[in-house]
This record gives sequence, structure tokens and C-alpha cells, in this order.
Amino acid sequence: MVKLFREMKISSRVSAFWLCLMALFAVVGHWIPLPDPREFDIDASAVGPFSPGHILGTDAGGYDLLSNIVNGARTSLLISIVSVGLGGFIGSVLGILAAYRRGRLDYIINTTFNIMLSIPNLVLGLALVAVLANNADPAIPVNPNRRMFVIIVSLTIVIIPILGRIARGATLTWSNREFVVAARSMGMKDLNIVLRHIVPNVLPAIYAVGFLAVGVVIVAEGALSLLGVGIVDGLSWGAMIARVAGEFEYAPQSMYVPVLVLALTVIACNQIGDFLRGRLDVREGKI
Amino acid sequence: MNDLTFKLLAAARRLAQLLVVIVGSTFLVSLLLQLLPVGLKELYVFALDEAGRQQQIQALHLDKNPVMFYLYWLWDFVRGDFGSIVYPTGVLDPVMPKVTAAMPVSLRLVFYVQALALVVSVPLGILSAYRAGRRSDRVISYVLFSAASIPNFVFALLLASFFGVTLAWLPPLGYVAPSENLVEHLRTMALPVLALAIPTIATYTRLLRTDVIAALREDYVTMAASKGLSNIRILFTHILRPSSVTLFTSAALNMGALIGGTLVIEQIFTIPGMGTEIGIAIFSRQYFALQSYVAVIAIGYVLFNSIVDIAVGFVDPRSRDRRNG
Repeated sequence: MVKLFREMKISSRVSAFWLCLMALFAVVGHWIPLPDPREFDIDASAVGPFSPGHILGTDAGGYDLLSNIVNGARTSLLISIVSVGLGGFIGSVLGILAAYRRGRLDYIINTTFNIMLSIPNLVLGLALVAVLANNADPAIPVNPNRRMFVIIVSLTIVIIPILGRIARGATLTWSNREFVVAARSMGMKDLNIVLRHIVPNVLPAIYAVGFLAVGVVIVAEGALSLLGVGIVDGLSWGAMIARVAGEFEYAPQSMYVPVLVLALTVIACNQIGDFLRGRLDVREGKI
Repeated sequence: MNDLTFKLLAAARRLAQLLVVIVGSTFLVSLLLQLLPVGLKELYVFALDEAGRQQQIQALHLDKNPVMFYLYWLWDFVRGDFGSIVYPTGVLDPVMPKVTAAMPVSLRLVFYVQALALVVSVPLGILSAYRAGRRSDRVISYVLFSAASIPNFVFALLLASFFGVTLAWLPPLGYVAPSENLVEHLRTMALPVLALAIPTIATYTRLLRTDVIAALREDYVTMAASKGLSNIRILFTHILRPSSVTLFTSAALNMGALIGGTLVIEQIFTIPGMGTEIGIAIFSRQYFALQSYVAVIAIGYVLFNSIVDIAVGFVDPRSRDRRNG
């Protein structure tokens, strides 16, 4: 980790620092002494940044913005990390299996990936969330925890083919390398070859694209909230933006603050992803 | 085997693949309806007497298994019957006219965005590639990287608030058809197009910059320069032609993100396109309509990608030979 940090340029360091800060918010956010994110301050609605008691100000409803950002980090990061982690894991297992085995299995898995990728990812995510988050009685709103679960499942399904294809492509190039052929000719078991020789070489590519995917998922969560199928009334960055979208003239900071935090987080994820990818190219170039 | 049979075989193979993907994706969408936690019968069968109930169930094919349900839908779909919106009174409102009304609006939006993005990013990409490594290039690169990372709905909300409300130069929402009033049409489309185009421009410019830098190092460019060809000539025949392949391919890949983007942008700017129709279908729980909308989008997206693939083959003989060989 320290070695990785030394290799980084200043922009990647700042990005890594920002992501760590957001992760810290996500983990210990509720212990930081801030106003309750759901409690409105009647005496200080729509106050600007640097007001007493409200460092980033409040929105038109009197909710403390910093507190919402800090507590929203948990939901936003939980959704993105769980769905990218889970989707990446399932996708990688399928992709590596397909590329290593080849033949019919490869055809089936690859075609399935292509089919899933033929629906634009936000459209697929939206359709999944819309269908899964439903109650028999439309008057009863769906419980936020279930909504969050549905969003994570939907976005996981969206991520699987994206990372699965990367894993498949990387495995295809590595499984024909001399050391893999050598291991096979020495009678090494397939499982051992995959775990010892393929996975360690494929993982960097997955990490690189995984960071980009985290950015994609954070954006998707925001978009779903704006479309009205996100975590309504929940504490997430997307929900913050959706709540004030269209009526933020009285408290412009209520829009600029969450938008800025979301954009910076996505930029940071892309920056780290780019850094990891660039590092990958260099190593390949030296061989 | 001679060359022609080989080409025909390759074409047939591609067509078969295309059909598999289209059938697969529409079946996937159809399966979604089976995943509903609420039964379709509870949602769409409203008749009170048993005979009426049975009749409605039959009419909507709700008594079929998922595969048969899909095949019935597919048969209707290819004949141009995109299903219906089912009202609680039992009245059916066909989806097809809604698609024919909404689709051109969305297509126009996407077309403007792609056109604007290409027009801006080609000169910008070339300019920054020729200045590669200088301070101005580094600044441009950082700005582009950030712009490509910022989601389009962020641009949409900021543009609408600044140009639409604060300055009041352009209408912050609404849509006017071009046949009605062309100037107003362009004015209403300006902000949504800009919101979608900014991240797209950034993505294309970055790609083109990398590509042109790589092309400038190629031997054939040095050769052309040493033959005494003018810079402009080299730029167009030796650099832009191979780079246009990258640009076309990424434009096709970016189409998916753009279609997703229009969903959100249309709802922010209240443009009556496919995104808005999908939103309405979701909120009124019209999943038959949703199924057809998503299917139309998936088919369009797949076809567009194949067309670009074929077009790239014409521009770049290298990729054509590779595919056939």
C-alpha cells in the first residue's frame, strides 16, 4: 500500500485521500458530533456555508448539509462497494471460467454477457429496480431497507457482465502464456493453475476497471434517485440531489454541495482507476 | 473456399449472432415481468365476474408459462403490436403510438448530442495532440478528465439553474417540436443537448488526443512528412482516417451511456421522449408497456452497434481483413 502511494502523482494522491475521507465518513460518520441529518433547524433554514452550527449551511428545509453528506456517504458507498464487489466477484469467476475452459461453456457465458450488455446499463438498472421494488398495494411505500437491497441486487446484475468481460479478455491473453502452458505440461491441476497463475495476473485489470465501476454505480444511484426510484427519503447523496432538484433557488448550496461531493468522488474513482490501469500498461510494456 | 463464399458465411454468422442477442435481450426483459413480487393478474385483471376474469387473463396471455408468454409477446411485437397500457376500467391503450411519438424526440436529442460532440471534439483533440506535453495540454487534459467524470445530470441541473433561471436566457424546461417553431425547438433543446454533450465531448477528445499522438509517432507519418506532403494533407489522409475508426467505435460504445443519460435528462427538462414514457410506465405500473419500451431501446442499440461495426470495416481495411481472415 505504502509503495503504491509513493508511485502516485499528486492528483492520484489527492484522489486516494478524498476516497479515504469518504470511507471514513461512511464508517464512523454517525459518531462525528454533527446535527441530526433528519432534524430540521427551524431557526436556520437555507443558511449559507460557514454559518454557526452548520459548516456547509442548510437546505431550504433546514437540514444540515454536512451531516447529510457524512451520513449519506454510508449509503452511497455501501451500495457502490457491495454491488461492484459482488458483481465483480461473480463476473470474474464466470469470465475466468469461460476463458479458461473455452468451448461451449465460453459461448454460453459470453453470449449471456453480450445479451446483458445489449441493454444500456441505466435502462437495465432502472427496469430491475422498478420491477423488484413493488408492493401489492401501491399506496404502501416500499420499506427503505428493501429498496436499498433491491438497488444493490439490480446494480450487481448490471456490473456482472461489465467486469466479467474484462476478466474473460484478460484470462484469454494470460492463459496462452508460456508459464501457464509450462504449468499445464508439468501436470498441475487446473484449479491450481487458475488460482496461482491466472487470478494474480487478471486481478489488476479487474481492480482498475472496478474503480471506474464504483464511479458508474455512484452516478447510477444518483440517477435512480432523480428518476424517483432511488432510496426515497433515505440518506444518500442521490437522495439529497433529488430532494432539492428543481427548487434550489433559495438555497443554492443545497444543490452545489451534494453535486460537488458526488462529482469529486467519481473523479477520484476514475483517477485511481486510470492510475492502476496506467501502472498495468507499464508492467506489460517492460516484458 | 473462395473469397465470396467466405464473406457470405461471415455475414451469415454475424446476422445469426445479432439475432441471438436480440432474442436473448428481449427474453431477458420479458423474464423481468415474471420477477414482479406482485402477480400480473392482480395488477391487470379487474373484471369482477369469473367469466370476465378468464377472458381478460386469456387476452393478456397471463395463463401462459414464461416462454410461451414471451413468444406471444414476440409474435405481437414483430407485427407492430407493442402491447397496451391496461386501465383499471379494462380499457386498453396501445403502446405503439406512444413509441412512434416519443422515439423521434429521443433520437433527435441523441443525434444533436453526437453531432455537437464530434464537431467540437475533433478539432479540440487534434489541437491538444499537437501540443502534447506542454502546459496548456496538461491543463486541457485535467479539465477534460474532470468533465468526463462528472455525471450529465449534474450538468443538467447546474445549466438549468444558471442559464434557465438565474440568467433566464433559455427555457429551463419544456419541448417544442421543430415543425411547430424551429427557433423555439433549438432553444428548448440547447440546455439538454449541452448537458449530455459536455461529458461526451470530454470523452471523445481524450480518445482522439491519445490516438493522434500515437499516429504522429508512426513511421508512415514520418515518411509522408519526408516526402514533403503538407501538414494538412498528412493530417487528413494519414492521421484522421485511422483515428476516425477509434472515434466511430467509441461513439457507438458511448451510445449506451447516452441512452441512459437521456432517461434522466428528459425527465429533468420534461422532454416527451422515451425516457419520460418509461418514467410514466414505471409510476403507473404499466409493465407491458415498460417491456416494449426497453425492448425497442435494446434492439435499436444493438442494431446501431452492428451498423457502426460494418461502417468501420469500410473505413479501415485492416479490421475488415482481420475479421475475414
